[in-house]
Amino acid sequence: MSHAVHGPNWPARIAIALASLAALTVSVALAVTIGEMRIPFDTALRALGNGLFDLDFPVSAIQQGVIFDYRLSRALMAGLCGGALALSGAILQALLRNPLAEPYVLGISAGASTGAVAVLILGVGIGGTALTVSAGAFIGSCAALAVVALLATGAGGASDRVILAGVATSQLFNAATATIVTTMASAEQARGVMFWLLGNFGGVRWPDLWIAAPVAFIGFAICMLHAKVLDAFAFGVDAAASLGVAVVRVKVVLFATTAVMTAVMVSIVGTVGFVGLIIPHAARFLVGSGHARLLPACLVIGAIFMILADILSRVLIPQQILPIGVVTALFGAPVFALILYRARRAT
Amino acid sequence: MTLAMREVRWAAGGRMIVDGVTLQAAPGRVLGLIGPNGSGKSSLLRLLCRLRNVASGVVMLDGRDIAAVPRRDLARRLAFVEQQATTEIQLSVCDVIRLGRTPHRAALASWNDADEAAVNEALARVGLTERHDQFWHTLSGGERQRVHIARALAQEPSELILDEPTNHLDIQHQLSILGLVRRLGITCIMALHDLNLAAMFCDEIALLHEGRLQAAGPPDEVLTAEAIQRIFGVAVSIREGASGRRHIEYLIEAERRQS
Repeated sequence: MSHAVHGPNWPARIAIALASLAALTVSVALAVTIGEMRIPFDTALRALGNGLFDLDFPVSAIQQGVIFDYRLSRALMAGLCGGALALSGAILQALLRNPLAEPYVLGISAGASTGAVAVLILGVGIGGTALTVSAGAFIGSCAALAVVALLATGAGGASDRVILAGVATSQLFNAATATIVTTMASAEQARGVMFWLLGNFGGVRWPDLWIAAPVAFIGFAICMLHAKVLDAFAFGVDAAASLGVAVVRVKVVLFATTAVMTAVMVSIVGTVGFVGLIIPHAARFLVGSGHARLLPACLVIGAIFMILADILSRVLIPQQILPIGVVTALFGAPVFALILYRARRAT
Repeated sequence: MTLAMREVRWAAGGRMIVDGVTLQAAPGRVLGLIGPNGSGKSSLLRLLCRLRNVASGVVMLDGRDIAAVPRRDLARRLAFVEQQATTEIQLSVCDVIRLGRTPHRAALASWNDADEAAVNEALARVGLTERHDQFWHTLSGGERQRVHIARALAQEPSELILDEPTNHLDIQHQLSILGLVRRLGITCIMALHDLNLAAMFCDEIALLHEGRLQAAGPPDEVLTAEAIQRIFGVAVSIREGASGRRHIEYLIEAERRQS
């Protein structure tokens, strides 16, 4: 946001929006065509036509299924998940004024794991009916969030305390998860849990998208309505309040929004670290720190990053699928180290 | 009368920090708030702009209880400059000053000519027009404080509240910041540490001690040797300085025995 931005520059905005859309489309196209089963591009297009517009191209049932029900739903889910997690990271970093804040660091993902594992292995249910893994993960992440909020409020609510509370909560829930897995799980179950803990788009089907898409887009809209207000947090809570921001209301609304976005994504695909952390930093590098640009940039870059990471996870090792969390962490860990290093120098 | 507080009390951690203070700022004048560390200066300023809510008593803006004024409306009247507020976010000087337009802009409103004019005028008033695009973290302490004041001015306030704006600045920058504040011509309420600077730059002074108002009035009446001895525990000799304002000289033990 430099002084050149004087009123909305609509042609530039439309150009950027179109370019983003094109980049997303290319990413999804790559995700749909690249994979273990070699499927020609034109066949892929026909399968998409069949699935999306109810056309009647001759495509074998297997290819149709792989393209439309497996790869396309998977790619779209990866995009939604990456975008929502990156967006959540940007919001948390702004509200807590801490470059390390993100859903994973704050323990929300750890809580989801415990919930999922409780359902997978212990068969926890409510009133006799078994819960789905997703529902368990959602309840777990809400529980973790409640613990973080309680700990952080008890510790005075300063932003570094929130991070510490998040670390403590992560440890607590990870310990619970490990206890359940090591004492109760069979070898096969343990392997399944392991896969879930590191993120897995393999189980994604269309109904998951009907939940994830509205959550991501409504969450994005709520965040965008607060873009200017988030800028005002740059110099702290008192500075924001003195600029007319209803600090408490904004915090409650935005924490709840990020919590729901994260919980829904994690409940569908498992825990995926580092996306919420590194994408906002990369996006800031590209578009600056004004949230009116940063938030859409996070959504788009997060989505593209996750779609590409998912492709990598499928092709990196032949005949095997790496958990998505492994791929994101391979990129994320070095960047995380760099941020830590810079944060230390800045003080 | 613009901004006034009546019988205001505020407690934190079971301790009374501001204890029944009644005070008012005269329009267009500079009111200095002085007192030892922990006397409640910062808390009082935060109560004045409703960053904290009074436990009892009332803060009034133009005769209206500020607790009933929406926060955004308040931010268009009152601007607040903290001591040494900083950020790790990469922001340019004009990014920071633009924040001052926050209370004037609706959630999805785009940047308009009035916003641009307010930002440019604020920059000019603090003498940083040519620093427009410089990054915040490359500025000196004095420049940062000027940018904060410009950000506050971009809010177009009628009252400006400053919490020790000269803290940690060298003497040249202290004088230039306070000279700037004096020339603004809007009502300023400012906490200060240095008694001589308070005497030089304030039209009126309020002396706080342990959350209570000890005295308020023109510097000559408030800054007496007795009051300073009683509240700060320091012996002083007060005489007229070269500027015509009073000059406070602190006496250390040895000098006191000789005199």
